[in-house]
Amino acid sequence: MSEIKALEHATLKVPYEILNKRFRSAQKIIDREVDQVTNVSRQVEKALDDDQPPMLSDVSKLMGNVAQKLQVLKRKADESITDELSVTQICKRKLEHLKGIMPQSRSSGEVCQGSVDQWKRIRLDRLVIEHLLRMGYYETAEELASRSDVRHLTNLDIFQTSREVEDDLANHSTTKCVLWCIDNKSKLRKINSTIEFSLRVQEFIELVRQNQRYEAVKHSRRYFPAYEKTQLDEICHVMALLAYPADTQLEHCKKYMDPKRWEQLVLDFRHENYRLFQLSSTSVFSAAVQAGLSALKTPQCYSQTCRNLNCPVCQEDLNRIALKLPYSHCVQSRLICRVTGLPLNEHNQPMMLPNGQIYGQQALRKITKEDGTTTCPVTNVKFTKPKIEKVFIM
Amino acid sequence: MDNEACASVEKELDRVVTKLEQLHENSAAEIGDIASLMSELVNVLGNAEQMVVTTLNTGTQINATNTSSTDDPMGDGINMQVETEPSAPQRLTDRQMEIIREAISKCNERVQKLSTEHRELHGSVSKIGKAIDRNYSSDFSSTMRVDALQDEDNLMLLNKAIAKHYCRQGMDEVARTLIKECKMSDDHAQDVFDSEREFAEIYSIWNQIQKRELGDALDWAVRHSSQLLERHSLIEFRLHRMRFMQLVSYGLKSQNEAILYARTNFQKFAVRYEHEIANLMASFIYLPGGLENTPYKIFLSQDMWTELSFTFLKDACQLLGISKNSALSVVVNAGCTALPALLNIKQVMQSRQVLGMWNGCDELPIEIDLQPEFRFHSIFACPILRQQTTEDNPPKKLTCGHVISNDALHKLSNGHILKCPYCPVEQNAEEAVRIYF
Repeated sequence: MSEIKALEHATLKVPYEILNKRFRSAQKIIDREVDQVTNVSRQVEKALDDDQPPMLSDVSKLMGNVAQKLQVLKRKADESITDELSVTQICKRKLEHLKGIMPQSRSSGEVCQGSVDQWKRIRLDRLVIEHLLRMGYYETAEELASRSDVRHLTNLDIFQTSREVEDDLANHSTTKCVLWCIDNKSKLRKINSTIEFSLRVQEFIELVRQNQRYEAVKHSRRYFPAYEKTQLDEICHVMALLAYPADTQLEHCKKYMDPKRWEQLVLDFRHENYRLFQLSSTSVFSAAVQAGLSALKTPQCYSQTCRNLNCPVCQEDLNRIALKLPYSHCVQSRLICRVTGLPLNEHNQPMMLPNGQIYGQQALRKITKEDGTTTCPVTNVKFTKPKIEKVFIM
Repeated sequence: MDNEACASVEKELDRVVTKLEQLHENSAAEIGDIASLMSELVNVLGNAEQMVVTTLNTGTQINATNTSSTDDPMGDGINMQVETEPSAPQRLTDRQMEIIREAISKCNERVQKLSTEHRELHGSVSKIGKAIDRNYSSDFSSTMRVDALQDEDNLMLLNKAIAKHYCRQGMDEVARTLIKECKMSDDHAQDVFDSEREFAEIYSIWNQIQKRELGDALDWAVRHSSQLLERHSLIEFRLHRMRFMQLVSYGLKSQNEAILYARTNFQKFAVRYEHEIANLMASFIYLPGGLENTPYKIFLSQDMWTELSFTFLKDACQLLGISKNSALSVVVNAGCTALPALLNIKQVMQSRQVLGMWNGCDELPIEIDLQPEFRFHSIFACPILRQQTTEDNPPKKLTCGHVISNDALHKLSNGHILKCPYCPVEQNAEEAVRIYF
C-alpha cells in the first residue's frame, strides 16, 4: 500500500460528500421548479380542455405564469449546476495535488528531491491544519492556511460550519445545531445518529431548569414521540425530571441537570460531524506522529549517553510523548558512527577502542591526536597508542 | 500505484464533470428556448387582446396578425386570427388552442427531461465515492495500539512541537496564535521561541531563492565561502551562475551589467569551472532574441530555482551542523512511510488470524524502511537470532572480530569452547567482549 492510498481517503472523501450533498439539493431544487412549471402548465391545459374555448385574457395570464416559472427554473437550474461544477473543481484540485507526490519522470536528482520535499512540506501543513481544526484551534488553522497558501487543499470550510455550531452550543444554545441537523437530516438518519434527540433532551432540561414545566411538557409532546421506538428508556428518565426540583440531589437526575452536559454535546456533535463526512475519529496527523515516533524510537533514545540531537525522539518533548509507544523493529543491523553521523560500512569500517566503544575509521582519525593519544568521546577515557581492533558486522 | 488510484477517481470525476457541463449547456439552451417561445406566445396573446380592445373601441373589424411569426421557434407560424364579436369577450380559436397545447406539451417534456437527466447523474456521482473507497483506505487508526495522544500533557507537548516547527520556518505568528489558542504555559512558550533561532535566517534565504531573489543568498555564500569550499559545496558557484543568467535573461539592456558581474564573480571559480563558465559566457550570442528558444532556457524554468533552493538548504544546514528538517516534519514523514506498511501487515495478520501477536511485544511488528537520513542511532540486530540487542542481551565481539548477541553466544558455545559461526576460528567463549555502538 502506498502513502497516498493509506492516508488520503479523507482528502478526497470530504469534497465528494459535499458534491453528493450539492447534487441532492440541486435535484430537489430542480424537481421543485419543474413541479411549479408543470402545475401552471396543467392549468393552461385544463383551461383549453374546457367545453367552451377559453377566454383570451385568461389564457394569456396563465401562459404568462408558465413563462415566468420557466425563467425561474432556468435560473435555478443554472445556479445549481454551476454550484455542482464548482465542487467538482475542488475535488479536481485535490487530486492534482495528490498526483504531485510522483514528480514527472523527466526531472531527476535534486530537482526531483526538491519537489518531493516541497510536496511533503505542503502535506505536513495540511495534516497540521486538520489536527488543529479537530482540536478546535480554528484561528491557528485559519492563519496557517492563509500563510502557507494551502486553503484549497484543506477541509477548512466544513469545519467553519462546525465551529459556528460549536460556539453556539458552548453558549448554551441549540439553534444552530438543530439547523445543522435539519440540513443533514437524511444522512444523519442513515448513520443512526441520535444527536438531534440529545439536543431535544437538552432543550427540555433547560425548560425544567427555568421551571417552565408546562412548556417542557409541551416540548416533550412535540419532539419526543419520534424517538419512542429507540430511546424510550431515556425518554422516561428525562421525563422523570419533571417530578423533582431543578437542584435535586438524586444521582440520575443530577447527571442531566449538570451544565457539563453542554460540553458533552459539543464533543458528540464533533463526533457526528466526522461520521457524516466519513472522517476517522483520529486525525491522520496524530496517527502519523505516533507511527513516526515508533518508527524512529530506539532504546538509545532513552539512555543518557547515546542521545543524538538530530534525532526527534531524543528531544525532550517528543521523547515524553513516545514513552509508551512501541520501539522500532529491526532485523538487519544498521550502524551509525556516533562522532561523524556517517553509516558504518565497508567504506567507513567500524573499529573498537579497548573499552569496547565502536567508532568509524574516519572518526578515529579525528579523535586521535598527533602524539598518538585517543580520547573516547563517550566515556572521556584517554588512551595512549591504543590497540584498535576491527569489528565485523554481518 | 499512486497514479492508478488517482487516475481511477479522476476518471469518474471527469465523467461527472463532462455530463454536468453537457447538462448545463443543454438545459440552458432547451429551457431557454422554450421559455422564449412562451414569452413570445404571451406577447402575441397580449397583442391580440390589445387589438380587440382597440377594435372594440373603434368599432372596426381587424384581423390581428402576428408580425413576428416568421422567426417563431416553433417553426409553424402562430397565426393569431382573432375573430372579434364586439359584444362578447374574446375566446380562443381552435388553431390558437392547438398551438398552445403543442407549446405546453413541449414545455412539459423538456422540463421533465431536465429533471430526469439530472437524476440520472446520481449513478455517476456515487461512482466517484465508490472509486474513492475502493482505492483509498479509510481506517488507519487501527494501527495504533496505544493512543499516546489522548493524554492532555502529551497533546500540549505536541502543540509545542507544532509551534516550534512553524517558528523555525519564520511563521512566528502561527506559533503565537497557537500558543494563545491552546493556552500554553509561559515557560513552554519561551522555549518555543528560543529553540529555533539559528535556522530562521537560513529559512528566510531559502524562501527568497524560491521567489527568485538572490541578494541575501549571495551575501551568505560569500560570507561562508571558505567553509563551503572545504566541504566541496557547489552552492556558491551555482548562486552566482543563477544571478548571471538572471541578468542575461533581462536582455540587451543589462548586457554591461552581466559582463561586469561575470568579471567580478567568476574569476575565483576559473579553475574548477572553466568549461562551465565558457558555456555561460556563450549565452551572449542569444541576448538580442531572448533565451526562450535557446539551450539556456532551462535557466528560466522553475525547476532550476527549486533545485537551487533545495541545494542551498541542504548545504547551509550541513555547514551549521543543524538538521534541515524540523523534528515534527521528520516524525510525520517517517510516520507517513510507516503507516501504509503497518496497515499492510495488519491486514496480513488479520487474514492469518495471528492478530494476537500484534499486541504481544513492545516493538512494531515489522521494520520500517526509512531513508538513511532518518537513521539517528545504531541498531545492532544479532545475525544469529535476528533480534535487536538490549541491555540484557548485549552485543559481544568474538576474538576473530565477528559480533553476535550474548544469547546467541551462549547457545552456540559448547562448555567454554565456541566456534565462530562465520569463520573457522575456535575460541574461549569467556574472551568475547561487550561492545557499545
